[in-house]
Amino acid sequence: MIAEQRIQDAAGTGRPAVEVGNGGRMPRRSSYDFVVAGGGPNGLTIAAYLAKWGFSVCVLEARPEIGGGAENVEPIPGYSVDPHACFFYGRGAPGLEQLELGKYGFRTSPAPGNFIAGPSGAAGGADRSMKMDSIDQFLEMGFDVDSAKLGLEFQQKLKARLPEFLRSLYWTPPYDHRWGVAREEHPSVKIFKEVFPAWDDSMLDMSLYEWIELMGVPDPQKCGMMINAWGNGPHPCWKGMAIPAFGVGELMSYVDGMPVTPVGGMHALAHAMARCAIANGAKIFVNSPVSEVLVEDGQAYGVRVDDNSALQEKTIRANLGVILNMHVKQLPELVTRGSFTPDFIQKIDNLSLKGGSLFVTNFVVNEFPRFAAVPEIDGRPVTSTVLNADTPRLLELMRDVHSFRTHPTDPDHFAGVWYICHGAHDRSRVRGGNGNYVLTLNLQVPAPEDHRDGPDAVNRAKDEIVATLKAQLREYAPNMTEDKFVATFVNTPRDSEIRNMAFVGGNWMGMRESEQEWGQNKPLPELARYRTPVDGLYLCHQTSHPGGLVLMAVPYNLMHILHEDYEAVSKTTPDWWYPSPWHITDKEGAR
Amino acid sequence: MPQVEFPTQSETDIVVIGAGPNGLIAAAYLTAAGFEVTVVERRYEIGGGLATEEILFPHHYANTHASYHFMVDYLPPISDFHLEGEGLRFHKPHGQMGAVVGDDYVYLTNKLEDSRDYLARFGLDQADVFGNLVQRFTKIVEDILAPATYLPPDPPVDLIEALGRTQVGEDMLEVSEQSALELLDSYPLADSIKATLLYMACQWGVMPTESGMGFIVPLLLTRGMEKACIYGGSHRLASALARVILQRGGLIIDNAEVTEITTEDGRANGVVLEDGQAITARVGVLSSLDPKTTFVKLMDPAAVPAEVAQAAEGWAFDKWSLLSVFFALDRKPTFKANDANGMIGLPDPFMTLLGFDSTDDVVSFLTGIERGEITKVAGHFTCESAFDPFLSQKQGEHVAFFQMPAPYDFDWEGEQDRIVAEVIALLDTHFEGFAASVLDTVVENPKTIEQRLPNMVRGSIKHGDYNPLQMGYNRPNTECSSTKTPIEGLYLCGASVFPGGMVIGGPGYNAARMVCADTETKFPFDYPLNVKRYLATYFPEGKE
Ligand SMILES: Cc1cc2nc3c(=O)[nH]c(=O)nc-3n(C[C@H](O)[C@H](O)[C@H](O)COP(=O)(O)OP(=O)(O)OC[C@H]3O[C@@H](n4cnc5c(N)ncnc54)[C@H](O)[C@@H]3O)c2cc1C
Ligand SMILES: Cc1cc2nc3c(=O)[nH]c(=O)nc-3n(C[C@H](O)[C@H](O)[C@H](O)COP(=O)(O)OP(=O)(O)OC[C@H]3O[C@@H](n4cnc5c(N)ncnc54)[C@H](O)[C@@H]3O)c2cc1C
Repeated sequence: MIAEQRIQDAAGTGRPAVEVGNGGRMPRRSSYDFVVAGGGPNGLTIAAYLAKWGFSVCVLEARPEIGGGAENVEPIPGYSVDPHACFFYGRGAPGLEQLELGKYGFRTSPAPGNFIAGPSGAAGGADRSMKMDSIDQFLEMGFDVDSAKLGLEFQQKLKARLPEFLRSLYWTPPYDHRWGVAREEHPSVKIFKEVFPAWDDSMLDMSLYEWIELMGVPDPQKCGMMINAWGNGPHPCWKGMAIPAFGVGELMSYVDGMPVTPVGGMHALAHAMARCAIANGAKIFVNSPVSEVLVEDGQAYGVRVDDNSALQEKTIRANLGVILNMHVKQLPELVTRGSFTPDFIQKIDNLSLKGGSLFVTNFVVNEFPRFAAVPEIDGRPVTSTVLNADTPRLLELMRDVHSFRTHPTDPDHFAGVWYICHGAHDRSRVRGGNGNYVLTLNLQVPAPEDHRDGPDAVNRAKDEIVATLKAQLREYAPNMTEDKFVATFVNTPRDSEIRNMAFVGGNWMGMRESEQEWGQNKPLPELARYRTPVDGLYLCHQTSHPGGLVLMAVPYNLMHILHEDYEAVSKTTPDWWYPSPWHITDKEGAR
Repeated sequence: MPQVEFPTQSETDIVVIGAGPNGLIAAAYLTAAGFEVTVVERRYEIGGGLATEEILFPHHYANTHASYHFMVDYLPPISDFHLEGEGLRFHKPHGQMGAVVGDDYVYLTNKLEDSRDYLARFGLDQADVFGNLVQRFTKIVEDILAPATYLPPDPPVDLIEALGRTQVGEDMLEVSEQSALELLDSYPLADSIKATLLYMACQWGVMPTESGMGFIVPLLLTRGMEKACIYGGSHRLASALARVILQRGGLIIDNAEVTEITTEDGRANGVVLEDGQAITARVGVLSSLDPKTTFVKLMDPAAVPAEVAQAAEGWAFDKWSLLSVFFALDRKPTFKANDANGMIGLPDPFMTLLGFDSTDDVVSFLTGIERGEITKVAGHFTCESAFDPFLSQKQGEHVAFFQMPAPYDFDWEGEQDRIVAEVIALLDTHFEGFAASVLDTVVENPKTIEQRLPNMVRGSIKHGDYNPLQMGYNRPNTECSSTKTPIEGLYLCGASVFPGGMVIGGPGYNAARMVCADTETKFPFDYPLNVKRYLATYFPEGKE
């Protein structure tokens, strides 16, 4: 009896460890090579990389679903909405091909009919970022002749090197600040210098706004570029961030100048990542919040999961490393006390969350919004746009959000509202009925903790904000009368924060992407290479370089570092792996 | 060329249509048997009836469809693939049913003697009658109904001969002849107890007065006292099965509606998806959809034999569906103690039955529902987050639902608000301050069930009615009830094939075995012990 009990205990299942059939019983391991805490896009991707590389990997996700910011819900039958991310910017990611996500069902759907709308219903201009091949097109948009020439030349040179430029910017591990690599020596800057005809070193200090002014870009294109930056990462007014802020805009128009969504919504991408990981042997467990990262003698050796978890084992050991797909601000609470100096914890506390808090509105509507002033773009009706792309208004909104620390209350400050109509190009999103669509409208608001009226202020203002957004949409698409709105689902930064512990501050990009908190400084200089002061503990979350967006970039970059740190990783380099050509190893860098 | 997007042309051994419990179970076994399997699912999430979703958006999850798991003790994939433990955990509440019938409170647990102790309040004889009933029914279920779930059905003549071999078998045959009501009427039970048992037996779609359906009573009563919830939500079972499939090289493609089952020379050889992707199946296609969809909607009429097409056209969908009202609550509902019976302080039962006065009341209510009328609001209630803390993502807040049989043909648009108000009023009379605690309400009526899962035509939670003409060897028809269809390479594996609906896994398991048998592939697992025992007892010479 006792012997049998032992067998059961050893097996950890309460069932006799005797094989029935030959179905291949998985060993009941509570130890893995790598444990990944968090099942967001970056956590799933690193799990897929490591599993495909041949390591045993376990992902522990706190929520009932994997995906983090890449989730979908169907709050009313037949309509799938994305509470968080909906645009896919990662078409240039090495991970897409290295992990062969298409094999696991991944498909994308470009949203045609993209343009930038001027204020109050005005037509604005088509967003042809990558399709401008004549001076006339620039002139038509309102550039003066000199700017048009400059713009065209830049555009043409960039086009040829865009994938390279973006890979150098996003898919390359940041350099260690101690190596003292000059700013102009960074690969993305080098490439930019080569493609930008009027380069001068002062541009390194510029904000995107200053650079756009210099380029003579007229509204609404100008505002479009600015909101693209604000909505995708580096704020257009942050000094020294012109190149990265320009880069995010290019991510968006990577595929024929059109924004792209995954077929079925952003969660489909998370599924493909998870399926790749599982197919390669990774274990993924949901409802398993990590309550502590276990550290002994400065070395991470595993994690403890919450007692409520469905897992039988509450301590999961990591033979090689623990990887945190979590906000850097979660570190001090989670890692065994005494692992960090008070100084270090203070630095983490000081990190700003400003810049990335979005009020996401999803409307189910029973009619396609027809943009009166712009019946068609390239022969397609408008499906994605930025409303009220008007720089003066946008500057007011920026002041509301960052300086006055409030959401906009003046309808004239509702600027740069992102708009996409799901279902026009991907019917799997709107199976509930013909002629019905899901609209997403995103507005910038302050981070909950930063709001002058307290963290719930935006939630209290939900109805007013929604009403203004609807009215604003009607200025462009007059057919969208109140009766066309079937249902409304709002996700505020506060809601994000509650649903996902890693969305500290409800910040979609994790934390501010300013020069002091970017690249080799992100999130702190000592953490920039994804390592932490604890051996065997790594960061793999959007709070590391290159920041927010589902780009599979943080994990790709982290693989370079693991390659350096673990002999087990470097000695088994598989043939599908290729590193960034600009990667500098620690050994090389130190020289 | 690395695959960045799912290809427009691909090839696999087997395509499974639909990633509900049955499709996933079939796929899991077939991957284990060595086949290359691709499961294609129309929705953005797999699981079909195994859905745990944030429909009380934001922050509150609910099991939109299946919540009560009756067969976890028997489901072969759970033990064959050692699913339990790996993030999958079943929780069987001790209190299984608390029924308020008139002024009585009938409390049933998953321990016979505890139930009998509570029932003895209605008289010691009641406890004895109940004990005898449960003992008799348990034998029928353990010896026959449970094992037979995981075997293809037998023609009636063969079955009668086989069951004739034992007393339990004879008893099973006798029980089967009767209607649920007749069977229960044969026991001298207090009316409130009888009403409770009748509801348990019939709630999922059986008319109490329909002869030939008596076997449903032992099945749903004994299993109805062994219901489990899945910790973290019913969807976890789907995830666990998906993991088995993926680990063994299978593929699961979501957001992918099958619009056509292709055939060549009379053989099913693949599917086409809504966006035009074609997946070729070298070995076969398994459809977990109902016969009408499979044979009429998805196939070229020329490829379907006339009698199969005709039977499919005549397929009867469920006689009623369900209405579920989901709630997000700011606190856990507290049952108002029923002093009259002294039933104070009992733990919350998994299922609470509310709104009925008597057995007659249950019968007339269900008769009304079948006619398309909702004569009153009565049904069952569960506070799911009381058993599963993960469903509410906000501390201290809870999710619960009220559910009742409901007709498809009904003026839902006009009447739903009134009915929901009545539901809340009913709950308010039984739970302290219920109405005031409601934060959010989401209603799923038979039409919205069909919108989420169009394969549940007319809200058919079992993909087709339970009546003697559509049960056993007749489900969905004599040609297809073994899961194999007259079309080479095409199999049925969903709730519309024997033994039927709910999360019982029989259709999926049987279909996987059938494919293996047809292709002379060794099925990678032995039959479970109870099935072996059943075969040895009733089919000592082997089964066709
Ligand atoms: C409103 C909004 C709109 C956005 N729009 C876009 C867009 O259109 N396109 C785009 O590309 N990006 C967009 N984003 C950004 C994108 O969602 C994020 O950049 C991305 O999700 C970051 O991925 P991650 O894996 O680093 O972190 P996350 O997605 O935050 O994942 C972290 C995971 O860790 C889990 N976790 C946290 N704590 C624990 C713990 N203790 N134990 C276990 N698990 C834990 C969380 O539950 C979560 O699942 C948007 C974000 C928001 C909020
Ligand atoms: C409200 C409700 C409550 C229920 N409660 C319970 C309960 O408590 N206990 C219980 O045991 N059972 C319950 N059921 C019943 C149970 O959910 C079903 O009987 C069971 O899910 C049937 O399993 P299946 O695999 O045969 O089909 P399904 O679960 O219906 O799965 C079929 C799958 O096929 C997909 N599909 C449909 N058309 C296509 C297509 N053209 N191409 C590709 N995929 C397609 C669907 O999206 C779905 O995922 C309930 C059902 C409902 C609706």
